[in-house]
Amino acid sequence: MAARRVGAGCWQRALWLGRRCRLSGGRNSYRSSSSSPALGKTVDNPQVTQEEIVLPRRKTWDKLAVLQTLASTVNRDPTAAHYMFQDDPFLMPRNAAHARLYSLSKESGRNAAKYIIKNFPQYFDKTFAEPNVPCLMPQTLSPQTEGVSEEALRERVHLRMVKEAVDMFDQLLQAGTPVSLETTNSLLDLLCFYGDGEPTPEKEQEEKEDLEEPGVDASEQKAPKRQFRRGSQSGPRWRENNHAERIFKIMPERNAHSYCSMIRGMVKHGAYSKAYDMYIDLLNERHKADVHTFNALIRAVPYLKDKFVERWELAKDFLTHMAQQKVQPTLLTFNSVLKSLRRCGGVGRTMSLFVLKEMEALDIEPSLASYDHVLSVYYRGVEAQSSDIISEVLNEVEKRSFTAQDPDDANFFNTAMQVCCDLKDIKLAYQLNRALEKGDNWKFLDVDRSNGYWSKFFSLLCMMEQIEVVLKWYKEMSPSLFYPSPKNILDLLQALDAANQLEVIPSVWEDVKQLGFSRRQDLLEEFLSLMSREQHPSEVQLAFAKCAEEIQAAHEPAGPGQVPLEWTGSALGHVVVLFSRAGRTQDAWNMMEHFQKINRIPTDQVMEEFLNCAKQTKCPDEAIKMVKLAASLGLPLSQRLKSRTEEEFELSETQKKALESIKWDGDSSDSDSSDSDSDSSDSDRE
Amino acid sequence: MGVTRDTGNGTHRGWGRWMRGPRAAVTLGTAWGQLWGHSSAVPTAGTPGLLRCCRPAAPGDTLAVLGTGDCDVPSPGDRDVPCQPSPALSPVQVLPRALHVPSAARQLHTSPVCLKARAARVRAGKGDKLVTYEQAHAPHHIGHRKGWLSLHTGNLCGEAGAAPRALEDAFLRRFLAGTFPGLLLDEAVLKRRGNLLVLCALLARALPPHKLYFLQGYAETLLGHFYKCPVRLELQTLPARLPYKFI
Repeated sequence: MAARRVGAGCWQRALWLGRRCRLSGGRNSYRSSSSSPALGKTVDNPQVTQEEIVLPRRKTWDKLAVLQTLASTVNRDPTAAHYMFQDDPFLMPRNAAHARLYSLSKESGRNAAKYIIKNFPQYFDKTFAEPNVPCLMPQTLSPQTEGVSEEALRERVHLRMVKEAVDMFDQLLQAGTPVSLETTNSLLDLLCFYGDGEPTPEKEQEEKEDLEEPGVDASEQKAPKRQFRRGSQSGPRWRENNHAERIFKIMPERNAHSYCSMIRGMVKHGAYSKAYDMYIDLLNERHKADVHTFNALIRAVPYLKDKFVERWELAKDFLTHMAQQKVQPTLLTFNSVLKSLRRCGGVGRTMSLFVLKEMEALDIEPSLASYDHVLSVYYRGVEAQSSDIISEVLNEVEKRSFTAQDPDDANFFNTAMQVCCDLKDIKLAYQLNRALEKGDNWKFLDVDRSNGYWSKFFSLLCMMEQIEVVLKWYKEMSPSLFYPSPKNILDLLQALDAANQLEVIPSVWEDVKQLGFSRRQDLLEEFLSLMSREQHPSEVQLAFAKCAEEIQAAHEPAGPGQVPLEWTGSALGHVVVLFSRAGRTQDAWNMMEHFQKINRIPTDQVMEEFLNCAKQTKCPDEAIKMVKLAASLGLPLSQRLKSRTEEEFELSETQKKALESIKWDGDSSDSDSSDSDSDSSDSDRE
Repeated sequence: MGVTRDTGNGTHRGWGRWMRGPRAAVTLGTAWGQLWGHSSAVPTAGTPGLLRCCRPAAPGDTLAVLGTGDCDVPSPGDRDVPCQPSPALSPVQVLPRALHVPSAARQLHTSPVCLKARAARVRAGKGDKLVTYEQAHAPHHIGHRKGWLSLHTGNLCGEAGAAPRALEDAFLRRFLAGTFPGLLLDEAVLKRRGNLLVLCALLARALPPHKLYFLQGYAETLLGHFYKCPVRLELQTLPARLPYKFI
């Protein structure tokens, strides 16, 4: 190290410098780091003696400072957005809606590129990479075999070309060529999977891969897709006598596979009673159904029967048939049972535990979807459940790291956090967070779900925890982990109010501006009412006045494309109070004039505050104008205001006369109005 | 790590005595002429003083005098495609070959004149021309005051692939200029790390962010499929071009 080569001479010089600096008032405190003091003292020009050399204060570092700094770089950066976004202030998303929009735009850009690659494969098919990268080559999606033959049909089925496959099949039948059973079955599978619609080129990326279970598939429209997913069913509906049914009917021979495909397709696309009839046919033909068919049928149970008990009985029937046909149930079977039990009310509560025990007996590990269904069964609705299921579930989940086995696994964490919020239990929420950090469990939350999860967690924190903890979480979590929703901001304001730390409000207002919520009326009302409720020390009051000014600017007609917000009476009053308390009389008076425009009357408190402000800033004109305003509005307070003005202000002669004339006008206008009232009433009577 | 910057002035020193004037790039009839000649955005273009004849001298042919950048002289038996459309042929050139007119024998394809003293230098104006740091410094400042715009190992001793990298660079710059029309504030920096290609571009804020993300996703996927390697696009936005000085 260079330090060791520093000789004794340098050390003496450093000491001399130190002594000089002590003489001239510098401070010395020794670093406890291992570097030599000679390195630290680099005062360039000790010869300048005339001016006082003001040295910056030497920092003291404790022994672990370096390690702590290094450790802070390893964890999540609390100021950065998600990795998929560019690290640029213009390109970073400011709230949850933007985050979703940007990630979807990027994805649609990728889809645009894939479209071009698909349509112009000749520019992309040179294989010059060694070794060849097959995923970056254009996919040959056009069928190679021409002509009408079974080969061609199989190829079209393989390439998922639904319409062409059906046409090919019809052509084969017309030509009289017999089509083998396997090929017909594969065609039937294709039709049942896509529900007689076309597979759309872009798949929805938010769902995980489908397993054998036909999960959510791409539907034709893209815009209502979100409602479709949130609703009970998705995908195209099963039409009457569509191609699948037609082909099924004209098949010369059918085996169990055909029946099973039809049943699964019908359940997937919403034709439940038909699926049940098909199952009865299958039983009549003495075929055996496979496990996936049974799963589908059990999922269809809530749509087949109405009463809870009947539903459970039907599900039990299916399970008994399974046992009779010696079909081994899997995890997905039990998950389907639990999913049906969600809609079985009280019966579900008793039975779901039995189902879990059965899973244990068969040595099947429950997945997150099972726990999700159990929680939904127990904590459904608004009635407070006194069961302890949630803590047992959390104890189980905390122990191990789960893998994705069921498409419904992804909902577990959100459901669990919702339950914690409903039960208002912060310890459970912390336990759930610990479960989330274990192993691979974080992978179950994608960007949308994670936003909702952390949003709920933050609301719970605001309700239950001390304000320091809340603020610490707030600084760490937003905007990197989640984007606060307006409800989160309201909760935060309430927490600040409860802890009496209203001076943090201006920084929360800055965040609100950044999130883009600065035009929401409910938030503005909340801010203004909290700020104007009490008197605060003067710097705080000035900061509040600045916020009020920005809120006021939002209500003014701004540039093109900005619709100004409408004032409400209370908001206007609050703004006047805030301006008055900060001593900005002119601004306050401008606001007072708005009252007439919106046909509202300022409250007594507002006018008193304004008068106080005018008194402090010594603007008697404003006071007189206010008294005039009050008198013109005919307020009972105007008398008191007038007397206050007379007493507390130093008025010149003209001002005193003006004040007097107001009173006179006020009285006369009152009497005039009363006369006119009586006149009009007389005229009415006549 | 260096870019394909031409240090020499061609290998044919013997021609130097003849060619004091402005030199033309004289190459075979390929597209190289266009590359070297036209893209003023590539600051690495020195004067490629490559003077090569395209076809070996047939017996009896006299050597054509290389003047000040003759246009290409297509001969009837020529198989090479000239890189530039030939202007109106002089009467000498349409004469049949039997006459052995000197200027009809050789085919030389030349680019427009590109002086090395004028490459990548912004000429002084009235004082209102905004010039960025990159533009303000001439190519001889590369390595001293400027960094390189394209970073790859093709120019190291024993490494292959310098020319394909240069070709890819040219294509990538044009692609970026076309994908982000009017938005590029400065030259894009291309970095190659192993197989990965990182394009660092500086954009203006004229488009809203979701459109920029769309273009980013599109460019990354398309270029990845085109070059069969992972491509990453790192974007940074500025309100306007950053002036270094006004000349």
